[in-house]
Amino acid sequence: MSKTSASFFLRSSLRIFVLFLLGANLSGWANAQDYAKYQSYDEMTKSLKQMVKSGKKFAKLESIGKTLQGRNIWLVTLANPDGAALNDRPGLLAAANFEGDHLIGSQLSLEMIDYLLKNYSTDAEVKKTMDEHVYYFIPRMNPDGAEAMFAKIKTGKKTNAHKFDDDNDGRLDEDGPEDLNKDGYITVMRLKDANGRYMVDPKDARLMKKADPAQGETGVYKLYWEGVDNDGDGFIDEDPPGGTDLNRNFQHAYPYYKPDAGKYMVSEAESRALMDWVVAHRNVAAVLTFSESDNLIVPPNAKGKLSSDKSIDLFQFAGESNSEVRKVGMITAPRRFGRFGGMSMFRRSQQQQSGRSRIPRKPVTTVNKADLAYFTKISKKYREITGIKNQPPLRTPEGAFFQYGYFQYGVPSFSTPGWGLHEPAGKKEKTAGSMGSKEGVKAGSSAMRGRMMGAGRGVAKGNKRGMDAKLLKWMDREKINGFIDWQTFKHPTLGQVEIGGFIPYAVTNPPAGRIKELGEKHGKFAVYLSSLFPRIRIAKTEVENHGGGIFTVKAEIENSGFLPTALQHGVVSGSVKPTMVQLEVKPDQIISGNNKTNFFQSLAGSKNRQKYEWIIKGKTGAKIELKVVSQKAGSDKTVITLQ
Amino acid sequence: MKIFQNNCVFISTLFFVFYLSSSLVFAQKKYASDPQFKVKIDFDRWHDVHELDDDMKRLEKTYPKFLKTIVIGKSYNGLPFMGTIINNPDTGPEMSKAAMYIEANVHGNEIQGGEVCLYTIWYLMENYGRIDKVTQLVDERVFYIFPTVNPDGRQYFLEGTGGGARSGQVPVDNDNDGLYDEDGPNDLNGNGVIEQIIKYVPGKGDYRKNVDDPRILERVKFGEKGDYILLGSEGIDDDGDGMVNEDGPGGYDPNRNYAADWQPNYIQNGAMDYPFQLPHSRAENEFWLAHPNIAGVQSYHNAGGMILRGPGAKWQGEYPGKDISVYDKLGKKGERILPFYRYMIIWKDLYTVHGGSIDWTNDGLGIISFSNELWSRRQYFTSSELQKQTGDPNSPISRQKSRYFFNDRLEFGDEFVDWHEFNHPQYGKVEMGGRWKKTMGRLPPRFMNEELCHRNMAFSLYQADQMPLMQAGEHSVKKLGGNVYRVWVDFINPKLAPTITAKAAENSVVQPDLLLLKGNVDVVSVSLVRDKKTQDYIKPVTKRIDQHDLKRIMIRNGHPGKTTRTFQYLVKGSGKITVIYDSVKGGKASTSFSL
Repeated sequence: MSKTSASFFLRSSLRIFVLFLLGANLSGWANAQDYAKYQSYDEMTKSLKQMVKSGKKFAKLESIGKTLQGRNIWLVTLANPDGAALNDRPGLLAAANFEGDHLIGSQLSLEMIDYLLKNYSTDAEVKKTMDEHVYYFIPRMNPDGAEAMFAKIKTGKKTNAHKFDDDNDGRLDEDGPEDLNKDGYITVMRLKDANGRYMVDPKDARLMKKADPAQGETGVYKLYWEGVDNDGDGFIDEDPPGGTDLNRNFQHAYPYYKPDAGKYMVSEAESRALMDWVVAHRNVAAVLTFSESDNLIVPPNAKGKLSSDKSIDLFQFAGESNSEVRKVGMITAPRRFGRFGGMSMFRRSQQQQSGRSRIPRKPVTTVNKADLAYFTKISKKYREITGIKNQPPLRTPEGAFFQYGYFQYGVPSFSTPGWGLHEPAGKKEKTAGSMGSKEGVKAGSSAMRGRMMGAGRGVAKGNKRGMDAKLLKWMDREKINGFIDWQTFKHPTLGQVEIGGFIPYAVTNPPAGRIKELGEKHGKFAVYLSSLFPRIRIAKTEVENHGGGIFTVKAEIENSGFLPTALQHGVVSGSVKPTMVQLEVKPDQIISGNNKTNFFQSLAGSKNRQKYEWIIKGKTGAKIELKVVSQKAGSDKTVITLQ
Repeated sequence: MKIFQNNCVFISTLFFVFYLSSSLVFAQKKYASDPQFKVKIDFDRWHDVHELDDDMKRLEKTYPKFLKTIVIGKSYNGLPFMGTIINNPDTGPEMSKAAMYIEANVHGNEIQGGEVCLYTIWYLMENYGRIDKVTQLVDERVFYIFPTVNPDGRQYFLEGTGGGARSGQVPVDNDNDGLYDEDGPNDLNGNGVIEQIIKYVPGKGDYRKNVDDPRILERVKFGEKGDYILLGSEGIDDDGDGMVNEDGPGGYDPNRNYAADWQPNYIQNGAMDYPFQLPHSRAENEFWLAHPNIAGVQSYHNAGGMILRGPGAKWQGEYPGKDISVYDKLGKKGERILPFYRYMIIWKDLYTVHGGSIDWTNDGLGIISFSNELWSRRQYFTSSELQKQTGDPNSPISRQKSRYFFNDRLEFGDEFVDWHEFNHPQYGKVEMGGRWKKTMGRLPPRFMNEELCHRNMAFSLYQADQMPLMQAGEHSVKKLGGNVYRVWVDFINPKLAPTITAKAAENSVVQPDLLLLKGNVDVVSVSLVRDKKTQDYIKPVTKRIDQHDLKRIMIRNGHPGKTTRTFQYLVKGSGKITVIYDSVKGGKASTSFSL
C-alpha cells in the first residue's frame, strides 16, 4: 500500500543528472577565479563546474530541468554532508534570474556560493550553517532569456523562448524590434505628432512626460518602441520573439490571460521544473529570490502589503502605443435603424448577477500580522548588511515565485533586486511606502513587455518626479552609461523620428564593478537568514514508575531556533505540515494522556517548549523511542528507558 | 397474362434470392432482428478499465475507417488514458471540422459516464448509414471520446470496496506522518464492502435492530436497553500509529487541478500544488491545446441529475450575456431530453468549485462546456403517482424505505449486505454488515443504465450538432463606376454556438476568425451590412471595419450563432476573386466569382 511520493516526482523530472565531483582540495579555493562580471550561460556553467569541483564534498551540481533551447537549469547544493541527511535539515533556497534582463542575481548567487565555500574553514558562523543546514542555489532560472544580454542587439527582454502570439492575430512572434539606428540597443522612438499625448519634461529635456491638459499642457509627441511594423497591422513591435515572463507564471495573484504570463500557471518548462523541485523538498525553510520586485529593501507595511512598484515611465509610454492591439477586430453588427439610432441603444444588459449566497473564502493577499515582525526584522538586517536603502526600478509582483513562497508554500520568502540606487548620505531611509492599487495590468497592453517594468501605474503625475528622473540623476552621478540621448533618424514609414532613452540592462542591473562587493554582502545575509531557522529538539524527558508496570512518560519539545516551526500563514494555508511527536509504543499500551502520534501546528522559536505526557503499561527496563519530526525545523529522537 | 408474367418474374426472383441466401446460410444465419448490430456490447453492467479499452479496440477493428483509438498518457499506476477519435476522412481531416470532446469518470467512483462514452461510440457507428441524423453528425463533426480519464480510480472502485475511489492514485500523505498511503481501508472478509461491526450483548447495548426491518440498526432512546454495541467499521491500524484507515490511496480531488481559477489547498481542498500537476489533467490539457478545433466539451460525473455549466465560483463573475444565451438554449433543451435533470450553474446551484475542468475549457480554451451529473434518485419511481407515494411517510415506498423496497422487489436484494457472523481478529465473534454496496446510490440500477446512456448521449449529440458550422451564402456584385465594384458576400453560421465565445474573445484564447480575400484587386474598404434586403431602400451607413490589412481581416469575437452576415467589399480591379471565412472552431467556408 505504501508508496513514496518522491518516486512520483522523480519520474516527472526526468533528466536529473548529478555532477558530484571530488578531488581538488578546499584550500585551493582562495585562488578561485574572478566571477565579477555578467556571464553568458556557457561562462556561468563553466564557473559553476569549477566551483563545485573545488568545493569537494560540500558542493553538488545538478540540473533540475532543461529549457526549450536545451539549456540546463542548474542547482547547486551546498552543505557539509556529514551529519543529518540533507533533506532532513532546514534549507535555504536562493533562486535568481526569473526575468531575462535581471542577471545581477545570477552573479550574486555565484559570489554567495564562493563566499560560503571560501569561508567554511575560517568563519565559525559559516561552518555552523553549512554543518547544520543546506543551501540550494538556482542561479539562472531563465537561461534562454538571459542569453539576450550577450546578443549583438540588446533588447532587454524578460521572457523565455516559448513562442507566444502576444497580439493573438494567428501569427507567432512576427513583429519584434529592429535596431534602426544601429547602436546595438533597442530603445524608444519619439515622433512629433499633434495627436500625441506626450511632451518633453521641462525639468530634463531627455525625459518625456504625459501632457496634463488640466495644467494647460499639450501633447506633441507619440512614443513607440524602436522598430518597424513588420506585419503591417498598424502596431510596432507588438509581438516580439518569446515568450513567458517566468516571474508572472506562478500561482499567487497570477495575472490570467495576460500576454506575458504564459497560457496558464506553471505552463513553462522552467517554472514546472522549479515547482516539481520545491514540492519534493519541503525542508526548504526560507526562500530568497533575486528579481525585479522587492520586500527586503522595503518590508511589507503594517497592513502586510508590499511597497508599490517603481516603474520607468518612458517604457510605460512606449508600451502604451500597443495597448489596443488585442481590441482590433471586435466586430459589432450595425444598429437596426441605421442612421437614426433605435431601441437597440437602450437594450438592457443581459448579464444578471445571480444570488448572493455561498461567497467563497478568498485567498490571502497580505502578510499575516503574526508573521510581519519577522519580515520587518529581516528587512532591517538586510539593509544593515548590504547597505542598500533605495529601490531601483521595480515592478508589482503578479505570479512571482517569491509570492508563491510565502502565500502558498508557507515559508519566509523574499525578493530583492540585489542592488539599489545610492543616495548621498543624510537622505531619509524609505519605509513601507504608499501602496499600489490592487488592480492588475490591463489586459491587452502587451508589446515589448520584455521591457515594461510595471503596468500603467506609478506613472509620475503632474510635477512629481518619478523613477525616470531619479534613475537618470543616479546614472549621471555614478557616471553610468545608461541613457542614449535622442538622435534624429529617418524612419521608413513614420518619417523623421528621434531615437533614444534608457539602455536595456542598465536599468535592471548595477555596473559589473559592484558584483564582488554586493556578492559578499549577500553571502553574509544568507548566513544570517539561515541562522534564524527553527530547530526542533527533545529538550527533556522524564519517567515516573507507579509500580505494577504502569509508568508516566513526560517529554518537552523545544524550538531552539529563532523562527517558529511554521509561520502563521504556513498554518493557515496548511502548507507547512504540523510537527509530529510520536512515542514508539503499541497503541493499546497507552492508558491515558497523549496519543501515540501527536501533532502541533507551530511552536515559536527562542526556546519555546511544548509538553507531552503519556501514562503507559510496560516492562521495567524496556526501551522506548521518542521521535519528533518537523518539516522545516529538522528532527530529533531519543530512547527512554522505563525505570 | 400479365399476372402470370409478373408471378413468373416474382417466382424466379424468389428462387434466385433463395438460392443466393441458402448458399450464405451456412456462413451466417439470417435474422430478421432490427437492427442487426455488428458489435455486441452490453450496457447493463459495469466495465472495468481493461474491458472498456478492449471494447474500444473491438469497435476500431470493426469500423477502421472512422475510428482510431489513441493513448494520451499514462496514469500513476501505468494504465493508459485511452480514447477514441471518430472522424470520417472522406469529409475532411480532423482539424477542418469542429470537434466534440467527451470525457468521463474523472472522479474514480463516478463510473457510469464510461458506459455512456462507450455507448456513444457504439451507437454512432452502428447507426451510421441507417439513421440520417447520425450519418450527418459523423460526416460533419469530429468526436474525441475518453471513457475514463481516471483509470486508476475506476479500477480501484471496481476491484475494491469503492471507498476513497473519488481520488486518483497519486500518493498523498493525508495524515502528515511522512508516510504515503500507508493505512487504507481493509476489507477483512473480502466481500467488497466495508461493513459495520456490531457485537451482540443482550440487554447491555445501546443499539437494536429495527423490529419491522432488521437490516436497519437504530440507536435506543436514553434509558432503554439495546442488544448491540457498535464497534465501528471494518478496518485495521495498518501502520500502528493508533489511528484506523487515516491514509488511504490518493487523497486529492482530480477535478480541482485545472488552470482556471485554480486555488491552493487552503482555499480549494484537494487541488494539489499547481494546475496540471497530475498525470490525467496534464495529458488532457496537452490534448486540448493540440486540438483547437474542439468546440464542445462534456464531462460526465455523477450524481443528482444535473446539466451543469460554470462558473465554478461566484468571484469569477457571470459569463457574458451572449454566452449565457447559448448555454441557456442548450441547457433548457437538455432538461427535456433528460427527465429529472436540471440545468444549473455550478457555484450557484451546486457548490463552489475552483480549478474544475469545465471552467478551464470554457475560460481558458473558449469551449462551450457542460458537465452532466448522471442519475437522479427520483428515477427509482418515475410516475407521478409513485413520486407522490414516496412523499408519504406511511407508504412502503416512503423516502426512508424506498431504497429497501426497490432493492427487494426490483434488484432481488442484490445491493444490500445483510448482517452476518464474523470472527474478528480483535473483537472475537461479531456481526458485520448493514451496508449498501458501492453500486447503490450514485449509480443507476444496472438494468436502467442503457436509458441513461442513450439520453445523455442524445444531449451531447445535440450539443455537438449545435457547434458552429461556417457556410458561404449568396454573393452579389454591383458596378459603382470605373472599375470600382461593390461586392456583397454572405457567410452563415446556422448553428446555435458562435465560432468564438464572448469569453474567449475577452481572454484572447482563441485565434481570431479570418476573412480573407484573394484576387488581383485593391480593396478600398470593408464593412458590415446589417440587412441586405433593406439596404438599398433605407441606405444606412455600413459599419466600416477599420483594419490595416483589408485582405486579411481579423474577427476577434467570431461569427454569432444562427446568423447570416453580409460583408461589403469596395474593390478596384477585375477578374476572379475568392473570399474565405476561416475559423478554428467552425471550419472554413469560401466562395469564388468574377467581377
